[in-house]
Amino acid sequence: MAAYQMNGTTVEHDEEGYILELNAWSEELAKVIAEDEKIEMTDEHWEVVNFLRDYYEEYQIAPAVRVLIKQIKKSMGKEKGNNKYLYALFPYGPAKQACKIAGLPKPTGCV
Amino acid sequence: MVELKIRQPVPGEEIPDPAAIPALVPGAMAHSRPYLASPEHQEAIGFPGELVDDWKERAIGKLGELVANSRALRVYLDTCVKCGACTDKCHYFLGTGDPKNMPVARQDLLRKVYRRYFTFAGKYFPWLVGAEDLTEEVLDEWYSYFHQCSQCRRCSVYCPYGIDTAEVSMAAREIMDSVGKGQKYCNEIIGKVMKFGNNLGLQEKAHRATLEDLEEDIEDETGVAVRLPLDEKGADILLVTPSADFFAEPHIDGLIGYAKVFHHVGASWTISSYASEAANFGMFIGSQDNMRELMLRIRKAAEDLGVKRIIFGECGHAWRAAYNFLDTLAGPFDFLDRRYPVPQHICEYTYDLIQKGALNFDKSLNDDIRLTFHDSCNVSRASRMGDKPGGQYEIPRAILRAVCNHFYDMPADTIREATFCCGGGGGLLTDDLLELRIKGAQPRMRAMQQVAQDHGVTHIAAICAICKTQFAKVMPEYGFEMDDVVSVHQMVSNAILLDGQNTGGEEDDEDGEDGAERAVSGG
Amino acid sequence: MLTSLYAVLFYGATMVLVAGIAYRVWQYSTTPAPLKIPTTPAPLTRGGVAVRLAREVVLFESLFKANKWIWLFGWVFHAGLLLVLMRHLRYFTEPVWGWVVLMQPAGLYASFAMVAGLLGLWARRIFVPRIRYISAPSDHLMLALLIAIGVSGLAMRYVARTDIVAVKAFFLGLIYFDWQPLPADPVLLIHLTLVVALMVIFPVSKLLHGPGLFFSPSRNQPDDARERRHVAPSLTTPLRAEAGAKR
Repeated sequence: MAAYQMNGTTVEHDEEGYILELNAWSEELAKVIAEDEKIEMTDEHWEVVNFLRDYYEEYQIAPAVRVLIKQIKKSMGKEKGNNKYLYALFPYGPAKQACKIAGLPKPTGCV
Repeated sequence: MVELKIRQPVPGEEIPDPAAIPALVPGAMAHSRPYLASPEHQEAIGFPGELVDDWKERAIGKLGELVANSRALRVYLDTCVKCGACTDKCHYFLGTGDPKNMPVARQDLLRKVYRRYFTFAGKYFPWLVGAEDLTEEVLDEWYSYFHQCSQCRRCSVYCPYGIDTAEVSMAAREIMDSVGKGQKYCNEIIGKVMKFGNNLGLQEKAHRATLEDLEEDIEDETGVAVRLPLDEKGADILLVTPSADFFAEPHIDGLIGYAKVFHHVGASWTISSYASEAANFGMFIGSQDNMRELMLRIRKAAEDLGVKRIIFGECGHAWRAAYNFLDTLAGPFDFLDRRYPVPQHICEYTYDLIQKGALNFDKSLNDDIRLTFHDSCNVSRASRMGDKPGGQYEIPRAILRAVCNHFYDMPADTIREATFCCGGGGGLLTDDLLELRIKGAQPRMRAMQQVAQDHGVTHIAAICAICKTQFAKVMPEYGFEMDDVVSVHQMVSNAILLDGQNTGGEEDDEDGEDGAERAVSGG
Repeated sequence: MLTSLYAVLFYGATMVLVAGIAYRVWQYSTTPAPLKIPTTPAPLTRGGVAVRLAREVVLFESLFKANKWIWLFGWVFHAGLLLVLMRHLRYFTEPVWGWVVLMQPAGLYASFAMVAGLLGLWARRIFVPRIRYISAPSDHLMLALLIAIGVSGLAMRYVARTDIVAVKAFFLGLIYFDWQPLPADPVLLIHLTLVVALMVIFPVSKLLHGPGLFFSPSRNQPDDARERRHVAPSLTTPLRAEAGAKR
């Protein structure tokens, strides 16, 4: 099984880069994963990642894209509250790529 | 990720024929294969965790069992005369040029083994009839190419015997599952439905929160308190919709559309958290046992909630499974009100209301959209809507024409029964098959480019969760935006005027930041 | 000697042909069709299905939608073959039925059409890369066999005429178990040998595709899943009889 390396510890992930042990997540790890995804984490990225983690903690699943957009709108302003902006932050898709960096399982299904 | 070079046509340039036949490129897609299911995913749905030691004997035994139990499979494996009629009909062949993506060549991957072990000619003259032993290479080839078939049935339309590669690829996947070589995407998802009731893994608390959130949004936007009821006993209608409708864009806008239609006519309806999934990936892997298991959840939900009718939301293969198989596998449904078809499609429901004049629309609200419609493969070639053959083509179009002023069909040889698959159906809507998905979308995308050029079409409407997700993902490769795909009931939602709804743009603006601009044009 | 040999060959071939087709039809009809899978739009009734199948059998409707060249060659071949077979009834009936007498000239033209259709199909199999790719040796051999039968038949009419009165006596003799001598004419013997080969190969090869259409669920099922609950028992026994190749 492949793994992320950081400060001498390893965190296993699946074929697609989602970590297997959700408790192993840390901000450092998020940076490592983001680097792997060729994403430089800005405050906006962290905002999304933290929201995903909070939401997951309460509901055991990532929020609907629409819910995420609404949140972004609230915290970052109307002009950023849209799908396009989220894709600018996470080119591979806010749901999938942001979940990966946030250490959450990949959303499955026809999504 | 795979680097792809798909050139987008420049304006004014002639767009290639969507059905243009490529030169053969043997092995072009031999590298394409999805991730294997893990032992946990396999075992959760009744398959061996990994490739069993005696896989060859078991695979041949399973093939024999399937042939003995399926007239379709037996006839299809026997009857092909290699006439070549199907060779240019598969979108994956058109998009990749790989000859093993020609339907007959794909079937032959299984047929050559069938011939070797189960037919006189193949047992005694294998070289003459192209019969082959089952080897590890053959098994690998099955895994690769039977996961390059979206089971869209386009080949079946053109075959003089109606040979349906979907049946063959379902059988091949069933055989592979039975020896421990399953596909991660499908099998993980089936396990999730067994556990959580839906593909997403959405649990009741989150489900309820999502629906409540949508109720708020609708009220903010329209001023009308439209409900999205969950688990309400005694409701008349159980809505079973793909769980993508609770999660993804533009699916969720379609869900809002259903809710507004129900609200407008005062229907009593509910969603179930126990059976919160219309999709049935059991069909994709050819597993009747799993398909039935998933359907029994729907039956149980209908019984527990005491509903009178079951209506399915916008989902292509789900509609095939529901329309054709639900009654057989999970019926009879004598406890429902048999004055209504079991099951019914949300488009049939909305269409009937439109016919009765029960819905009010302002079509001009969709004037920023010039629309075309994508016939989803499973709806088009494996089901029906309404009481006449071909209603599955007419009813969604009639709805769209009722809510939109600018509607244009794509070229005739790319729609209705000749429709091209979106490129992501049949359990292939997974990131590990992205190259295949992009290439397989080529015929459909060229047809869309054609109407974009001829009629200025800006958006494509779909009635399938897979099509919507697939288009959102691949359209940017073909010069469109990811949000140029819309749900049919999103168009309904945009145009419907609910009783007491805020009208006039200004009010909308005041009303809020979550206003109507969200819908389609802006993003 | 020659007569006995061919008499035995034809009795044998006829038995193989009839038994083979009967077995296949029995096999198809006893294999369950557990689910409704008509390719839609499909007729809603049994009567509608009969019309759909008739259009497929007579007009090759789906093939016409698929590819005009294959349709043309295939349809001309099959229609030609049908007329040729009808024309051959004169060798098996006495007195010859009136309509068989009337269609004799048509049967002759048909034999040319049949061979032309076969040549067209073979040319596609050789020259169209897609079809060449999917062709096994047997696909070529069957076309060669059919063409050889057609050409040898035509040769007896136009090149080396044979004693057709004696040929007819031979076949009537086979039917009434009163064997009559078969002319030892090389072209005739080639023609008859190839026909025997065809009759034997027919039931164990793709040549037996006709019955397949009638049993193909995507074509023979009415689209009535919501009106009538479809229930078909599933067998549980695997194909033991045939799974003989123990591996």
